[in-house]
Amino acid sequence: MAIIEVKNLVKKYKISEKENGILGYIKHLFHPKYKEQIAVNNISFNIEKGELVGYIGENGAGKSTTIKMLTGLLTPTSGQVVVNGIVPNEKRILNNKQIGAVFGQKTQLWWDLPVIESFKLIKKMYEIPDEDYKNNLKKFTKILDLKDLLDKQVKNLSLGQKMRCEIAATFLHNPKVVYLDEPTIGLDILVKENIRKFIKDINKEQHTTVILTTHDLKDIEEVCDRIILIDKGTIIYDGEKEVFKNKYGKHIIAEFIIQNKNSNITVETIEEEFEIIEENETSIKIKFNHERLTIIDIVKSISKYCEILDMHIQEEGLEEILKEIYRGELIND
Amino acid sequence: MIRNIKLYFSFLVASLKRMMEYRVDCLVGMVSQIAFQIIELVFIWIIFQHTDNIAGWNFEQLLLLYGIMMLSISITDLLFDSTYDIGKRLIRKGKFDTILLRPVHPLISVLGESETSTALGYMILSIVLIVSMLIKLHISITVLLIIKILYFGILGGFIIGGIQTIFSIAGFWTYKSNEVVWSVFQLHKLAEYPIEIYNRFIRILITIILPFAFASYYPAVDYLEIEQNYIIYIVPLITIIIWIIAVSVWNWALKKYRSTGN
Ligand SMILES: Nc1ncnc2c1ncn2[C@@H]1O[C@H](COP(=O)(O)OP(=O)(O)OP(=O)(O)O)[C@@H](O)[C@H]1O
Ligand SMILES: [Mg+2]
Repeated sequence: MAIIEVKNLVKKYKISEKENGILGYIKHLFHPKYKEQIAVNNISFNIEKGELVGYIGENGAGKSTTIKMLTGLLTPTSGQVVVNGIVPNEKRILNNKQIGAVFGQKTQLWWDLPVIESFKLIKKMYEIPDEDYKNNLKKFTKILDLKDLLDKQVKNLSLGQKMRCEIAATFLHNPKVVYLDEPTIGLDILVKENIRKFIKDINKEQHTTVILTTHDLKDIEEVCDRIILIDKGTIIYDGEKEVFKNKYGKHIIAEFIIQNKNSNITVETIEEEFEIIEENETSIKIKFNHERLTIIDIVKSISKYCEILDMHIQEEGLEEILKEIYRGELIND
Repeated sequence: MIRNIKLYFSFLVASLKRMMEYRVDCLVGMVSQIAFQIIELVFIWIIFQHTDNIAGWNFEQLLLLYGIMMLSISITDLLFDSTYDIGKRLIRKGKFDTILLRPVHPLISVLGESETSTALGYMILSIVLIVSMLIKLHISITVLLIIKILYFGILGGFIIGGIQTIFSIAGFWTYKSNEVVWSVFQLHKLAEYPIEIYNRFIRILITIILPFAFASYYPAVDYLEIEQNYIIYIVPLITIIIWIIAVSVWNWALKKYRSTGN
């Protein structure tokens, strides 16, 4: 049985429509008018134990809303969520015991206390056995490099230090499911890598199920096996990351280092599959559909205009693919 | 339940620890609150320059009543101080979501965040007042009386704390909830005087609707042995009822909060 089951999940927000001015305000008080906005529109998916799922989509697509419903923070308008046999929204305390969650930069740590004191309170709250607590603390301190941070007050930590502690706090009670809503926002590359490695390590060891939302697709590339792509509240892709890339990543980007250009390179007959991204006197960057053209074709047509010195070929990454999807260029099936 | 209470005290200890970090704030709070109380006492003294009793209560008896209320307030401040500003401090800043994700009832977490700067000052001042007035009134301070004073002081603190907790749900709708709770709290001042001086409406207000009188007036009547009063025996019952209402109201507000999202 899947550890997370989501069926026909819908969330409509009520937005109050206030008219301007004090009169409008009073009018609203007695006769409130609401507009409905559908943030999540009938989504369904199952997630198995131990999966690492990247939940992605544009700003405002409905990711946080979904995560909030999965954690039980938000009551669905309709539809069903079951996490490890529990309906989060009904049995909140029970559900909270088995999950962990990070929401962007909101901290679950006690602001004015040393980090270690927060950890001790968490130990009490989740009734973590001494043994597990000690082991986890030791392990997390090592992977996330917390040694010098534990005695500092949370308010004195930098963003990256805070997030490392936050991640440790989230996994301290060996949660079965962890929801991470933009955990890497604002972090430098090293901290990001540190956190990605941590998630992967713990997943391997504990088979923790992780759902991750992020706008840094490197997070997804490195951590997740599966992608769920949501757009305007509906799921438009759900499946393996590699399959996703093969399905939509039909382009290759080639960069040529050139000299002696005799004229601007124009796109001739093969327009549709061939796009010049950048062009100057010494280099040219071209994107082409590798199902229709080969690199040989490209070399042939460019060499008419200049001398090629060197070239780099790059497969289209998630980022480029998503850019195209967000622009509405790819998905029409 | 036991687990929840234990956790509440763990949170409270953490919060008091953190308060110790701000000793200066603490001291300023304490001094200003004590000054404020002394001004009120001066007012009572001025009133008694013009009359020798209020509804049959003399100056010492009235100060005893005042001291008993202050003892209750000190308990309220110690344990339930955080009910004031949940709107601004927790809900508006989105911190409440992290509290909702903890495996304890959110009310435990919220109450556990109390960080009073007044409780200690009030407690000391109230004990000084109570003891000196009992001596002046020639009431012998027996062990039974001491136990009674502590017992009703604590229950009184829970009654006022419960009332504050009920009104603290305003924080789910407005970040100015501190003003709502503060206004309600201020009504406790009515119960710093014998209820005989009030008309029916105010009596009903402070005994039934917002039973502040059980945190001061009724215990005082008992200690002063003004009359046989059995009403004191229902104080625990009232405390329990208040808290049942407080928890229910909170659960209702939580449900609302979770359906609108924040
Ligand atoms: N409390 C709320 N009340 C009303 N509308 C809301 C509320 N929260 C979110 N919305 C709306 O619902 C939609 C989905 O928002 P959500 O926060 O789930 O997006 P998201 O995918 O997490 O975006 P982002 O990447 O920017 O975090 C948005 O249009 C947003 O304006
Ligand atoms: Mg979001």
